Amino acid sequence: MSHFTNKRQNLITFLLLSPGLAGFFGLFFYPMLVTLFRSLRPEGQTSGWTLGNYAAFLSDPDFRGIIWLTFFLAITSTFLSILLSVPLALLLRRKPVGHRLFRLTILVPITVPGLIGALGLLLFWGSRGWFNLLLLQVFRLKAPLTINYTLTGLVIFYVWHYFSYTAITTLSTLEGLDPAFEEAARVAGATPWQVLRYIVIPLIMPGILSGSVLTFMAAFGAFSIPLITGGNYRPLSVAIYKQIGIFIPARWSAASAMAMIMAALQVVFLIFYMRILRRPMA
Amino acid sequence: MTALAKRYWHALINQKKLFIYTFLWSFFLWITSPFLIILLKSVGRNWFGKRWLPPELTLDWYKWALTIANIPQVLSNTLIIAAIAVTISTLLALPTGWALGRRKVPAKEVLTSIILLPRMIPPIAYALGIAQIFYRLHLVDTHLGVALAHVAICAPYAILVLSSTFEGLDERVLEAAAVCGASQLRTFFHVTLPLVLPGILSSIIFTFTTSYNEFTLTLMTYGPHTITLPVRTYLAVGEGYWEVTSALSIILIIPSLFVLFMVQRQVQPEKLVGGFKGV
Repeated sequence: MSHFTNKRQNLITFLLLSPGLAGFFGLFFYPMLVTLFRSLRPEGQTSGWTLGNYAAFLSDPDFRGIIWLTFFLAITSTFLSILLSVPLALLLRRKPVGHRLFRLTILVPITVPGLIGALGLLLFWGSRGWFNLLLLQVFRLKAPLTINYTLTGLVIFYVWHYFSYTAITTLSTLEGLDPAFEEAARVAGATPWQVLRYIVIPLIMPGILSGSVLTFMAAFGAFSIPLITGGNYRPLSVAIYKQIGIFIPARWSAASAMAMIMAALQVVFLIFYMRILRRPMA
Repeated sequence: MTALAKRYWHALINQKKLFIYTFLWSFFLWITSPFLIILLKSVGRNWFGKRWLPPELTLDWYKWALTIANIPQVLSNTLIIAAIAVTISTLLALPTGWALGRRKVPAKEVLTSIILLPRMIPPIAYALGIAQIFYRLHLVDTHLGVALAHVAICAPYAILVLSSTFEGLDERVLEAAAVCGASQLRTFFHVTLPLVLPGILSSIIFTFTTSYNEFTLTLMTYGPHTITLPVRTYLAVGEGYWEVTSALSIILIIPSLFVLFMVQRQVQPEKLVGGFKGV
């Protein structure tokens, strides 16, 4: 009897899970399989097997440039996001005047569509934008700085768009921190700098790390931002889109091979991220 | 080196207040001024050269956006697609979220992270596959097709929010209702539903904004009849009319602003970014 009800319960659980699973398999797993198969077909054909698309991309002279650019943007923007987020979190934790407004500000870049952010950033940092007006009229520079469509500009835009992940996790870890640790250190005679360096930073490290991996993954997969603001700089996702958006006939197999490489790299980062999350707090 | 760092640190501490507020406000301006400049661009005329503000104000760009960019049609496309995507995602997520949140599921952690995978893999990777499948099924350039593509990314969101809502439902409250003699139906309508309704609503709001803002998956499945606001904005950027594009962006941004305020009030922000947090 209990065996029977057990089976029944399992069946109900499975039936309840099935809509979500159907969505997952139909709209994610199956499309990924299609992409995988397409990447193994010769260009423009529906049969036959080849590794040529991967070989072609890996031996393409642009390949190293694309991979280098993608990693450079992701790593630089992650690093700068940490440099911004840690002081920001440390300040906001003390609840200064207007801290609610600043907290809301952190959420802005991940809530509004990336396209709009990109457009506004182009206007703001352009040769006639407010940033250059400030340089020309307040700091008396002779000529405006070119920021849009340069590597520096892209890094600034990436940090603007993706620092939120690092800032949010850092802030939430910091607020979950027991103040007793710091008080103990201070009572023991540590300077504020020592408390920060040896107590606070090590304790919030898991939060900083998990947030940075999220920032890194978002920056690595970024699409709409480099598509609009990248100019001649094309990271992996834009390079994939160009294969089907520019070439006629569209190079689906080449695009799929690149997409598979990108997805594989992302899965590696994801595994790394889960390992960080599983690690017990220091 | 460390001595210098120490001195620098002390100097900062002495100037603390000024430094703190300069830092926070420049951060605030850095994030928000792009939006302010878009807003001004969308209502300004003859804004050229070294001017901080537009010399004349006009609503012409919005009129242009309405007529030339065909906003009524584009907006209705966007809303229809978002409505379909929200409906399908919620219907998928209600039972699955309930199972993940309240029932014994073998290997629950693995299952949850698998279902959330589409949020972590760059959409362009499976958008390529979706585009090819939808071409074969003649779903490209239909409202249902674009909406289904959006479900790929909306449903994991809905499942995430709903399963944590259902998980937070206190068993004792339900038992109390039963002990007090409420029938199952009465318990459901008077106890369970009011308790989970905020969660369902926030799931609907999140999936709606995700679909409304979705760009990559739309780009791979849209056609002349299913141009949505983000795609129209992207096309307008290519056409180079910055003023009209700004007007479009202002229209596009409104739902996300609503969500921003809801999020700040109700949901902990770390729940939004994590997804894998519980794993």
